[in-house]
Amino acid sequence: MSIMTYNGGSIVAMTGKNCVAIACDKRFGIQGTALADNFQRIFQVGPHMFVGLPGLGTDTQTVYQKIRFRQNLYELKENRKMSPKVLLSMISNMLYERRFGPYFVEPMVVGLDPETAQPIVGNMDLIGCVNIPSDFVVGGPSSDQLYGMCETLWEPNLEPDDLFETIAQALVNACERNAVSGWGAVVHIIEQDKVTVRHVKTRMD
Amino acid sequence: MATERYSFSLTTFSPSGKLVQIEYALAAVEAGAPSVGIKASNGIVLATEKKQKTILFEDCIHKVEPITDYIGMVYSGMGPDYRLLVKKARKIAQQYKLVYQENIPTQQLVQRVAAIMQEYTQSGGVRPFGVSLLICGWDQNRPYLYQCDPSGAYFAWKATAMGRNYINGKTFLEKRYSEDLELDDAVHTAILTLKEGFEGQMTAENIEIGIADETGFRRLDVATVRDHLSNIPQ
Amino acid sequence: MALVTKQILDTPIQHHFSPYSDNGGTTVAVAGPDYAIIASDTRLSAGYSIYTREQSKLFTLSETTVLGSSGCWCDILSLTRIIEARMQMYLHEHNKVMSTTSLAKMISIMMYGKRFFPYYTSTIIAGLDPEGKGCVYSYDPIGHTERANFRAGGSSGALLQALLDNQLGFKNQENVDKTPVSLEKAITVVKDAFTAAAERDIYTGDGVHLCAITKDGIKEFNFELRKD
Repeated sequence: MSIMTYNGGSIVAMTGKNCVAIACDKRFGIQGTALADNFQRIFQVGPHMFVGLPGLGTDTQTVYQKIRFRQNLYELKENRKMSPKVLLSMISNMLYERRFGPYFVEPMVVGLDPETAQPIVGNMDLIGCVNIPSDFVVGGPSSDQLYGMCETLWEPNLEPDDLFETIAQALVNACERNAVSGWGAVVHIIEQDKVTVRHVKTRMD
Repeated sequence: MATERYSFSLTTFSPSGKLVQIEYALAAVEAGAPSVGIKASNGIVLATEKKQKTILFEDCIHKVEPITDYIGMVYSGMGPDYRLLVKKARKIAQQYKLVYQENIPTQQLVQRVAAIMQEYTQSGGVRPFGVSLLICGWDQNRPYLYQCDPSGAYFAWKATAMGRNYINGKTFLEKRYSEDLELDDAVHTAILTLKEGFEGQMTAENIEIGIADETGFRRLDVATVRDHLSNIPQ
Repeated sequence: MALVTKQILDTPIQHHFSPYSDNGGTTVAVAGPDYAIIASDTRLSAGYSIYTREQSKLFTLSETTVLGSSGCWCDILSLTRIIEARMQMYLHEHNKVMSTTSLAKMISIMMYGKRFFPYYTSTIIAGLDPEGKGCVYSYDPIGHTERANFRAGGSSGALLQALLDNQLGFKNQENVDKTPVSLEKAITVVKDAFTAAAERDIYTGDGVHLCAITKDGIKEFNFELRKD
């Protein structure tokens, strides 16, 4: 039994043309037993910035609160918004403080840079090893399936509508082949002038 | 315990509401060698007087110090106190970079250095720092210039002077300063400001200059300072 | 010193025998209305070492059936040889070549026969059934079997099965023509699938060996994959 897959819940994030997307399923369970179909794993942490926290449910919530705590202090102290790259470094630093008793989450950050509007997706392991690829990141128990889906469906410079279709198909089909993921899904599309949240229906088994 | 009262802060209020320890510290600054800072449109200059008591001194201890690639610092007042603050400032800057993977903004550094200076006005077993700092930096595509006092107060300046004869220095700057100064002119003005009330001959060896612009902060070497001095009528 | 020697002799020494190794590899098979295709990558590896870049994991069992298998390579060799022998015996006894459906059942029984010392393989067979329709059967190591329209197995099974559901089974797609895909289209999807797998799975790569089975016989294709 792995703690990382104890509660289920998978997240995927992708870059597009002047936009980014992050999507996740809504299942919360204890191993095979599903308990809720409205669990939140993606949180908005800025006008154009979201974090996704796949992993152990309790740590998802704790780490989110700790991220907000540090981010609020930073934004008050410096009187400016945090950029996605700085947020990634900050979370990485926070997780490494618990190097030998880690939080069981693999955080994901997506956003548009406040200065350049450049789309950014990044993630890290549970002790903060950061990875900032140019295409997509995946996390949670359906990682394998998501890699297979994203690697074929994703292409550079997707427009927001196409990006939505791509990420939704990647997530829903991946979750269908994973027992601890599914039970509804939510997709966030982040553009310079708007953020769209769409709830996607899935099989409920 | 009988010794307990000695562990209170030395900086205590006088009945009139003053903190005389801080005023003494400011007096130490005012007695110190003058320094000048000027913001130009494309950079910032720091300049200070560095007179040696004897020609036997080696020229290897500096007053203008880099803190990060983009931030530099100079002082008026007590050298040893300054070096401690340089060390702390550098550590603060590196800690910031470690957490955020980004250079510390000048304002953040100033705020944190000032917080340390304030701590030394309220802690037991310590005395306030006998220095005022000029901290300059280049970030977010613009120049910054701050002054930090022993009390922990800090100010953002377009141009200022500290140390001995600082009132004359400031008056001089008020007359000479303009917003659209170029960096080279600012260096020129800084030297002229130091020259106000400079005793004896000013040479490239007895002043020190540092500049920050979009390429970063650096201390000017003696030859460059000499070039700047040669442009100034004796 | 004597004491130490004595202690060693007194303590029972456990010897370890590990009969299995995982040699990686991926197989994908698709069944169409009048064709079946099956493909495997050509990398044979153990841990971080690559034994060879050109070992196909496909075995042509008859004019109408091809088997693909990944996992423990020695078990695969052993299994396929016994299958071939049993097919010979069937031919001699019944004077006809085994059909894909009969083969499917026989393989399952053979595998279950080694229920307590299984062949450590992820096996798929593809071919035409007696009616000429394409069929695919997949197996777990102890002989559980299932007929399917498409299947991915081996080290990239998890990566590719979801993809096949979507691209060949049209899962979660609306307003699309859900008639089974053509042979050409199926080959394209399988190629894309292997390209994706080679991108993320270190046990899959180097090349793909693909067999297309139709009533006209078996056509073979080879194409390259990344080799790092």
